[in-house]
Amino acid sequence: MLEGKLTIVNQLGLHARAAAQLVKLSACYTSCLRLRRPDTAAEADARSMLDVLTLAAPVNSVLLLSAEGEDEAAAFEAVCELFASGFGEI
Amino acid sequence: MAKHKVGAVIVSHGQLANELLAAAETVIGDLDNIVAVSIGWHDNVEAAKDEIQRAISSVSQDAGVLLMTDMFGGTPTNISAMFLEDGKVEIVTGVNLPMVVKLATHPEDSTLSEIAKEVEEQGKQAIYRTATLFEPAKLKKDA
Repeated sequence: MLEGKLTIVNQLGLHARAAAQLVKLSACYTSCLRLRRPDTAAEADARSMLDVLTLAAPVNSVLLLSAEGEDEAAAFEAVCELFASGFGEI
Repeated sequence: MAKHKVGAVIVSHGQLANELLAAAETVIGDLDNIVAVSIGWHDNVEAAKDEIQRAISSVSQDAGVLLMTDMFGGTPTNISAMFLEDGKVEIVTGVNLPMVVKLATHPEDSTLSEIAKEVEEQGKQAIYRTATLFEPAKLKKDA
């Protein structure tokens, strides 16, 4: 299993369209991808948009990403890139 | 053979249904199995009934159709109730955006009954008194 920190860099935070992009990306991999907010302990399955939205993560917040499965390395990297790109908003 | 998918019709007063569907499509992408029926404030019952009937037929793939209406007891719900049919047409009231998203992202092999239950639960769960999430201690004191 891979684990690491992600920072939300886009101004609008992890909002609905951003969450939809994450879900779409997660569906390309077989690994289980989960996000956790260390400050609130909220957790979400990255394949569920409504789950991801419950994280209510604003700009500059830090999330913990875990990836577990056959393609965990590729999935982990792809999600990191998506967050770093600010979901295409920066 | 492609799997049959449960269809859905959002039925509301005014333009609410169209806008809810438009918002969900903006977030998720095109939703082929969901249509909206916005009942005009002055439409007569027969015209509204015909429109809902056409909408049901347009999304029906023999896997059932879920009608999501704006408010229990309102005209859109009352007219929709004329189409209730065990295993074929179900109604969930109080439609909100998370319910439409839930419906749009359900697994393809879900049955109408499973989806109706999940959509109902999602609609209730998705309502938060947001301040309680951010300042629980303060609100507890004030409550």
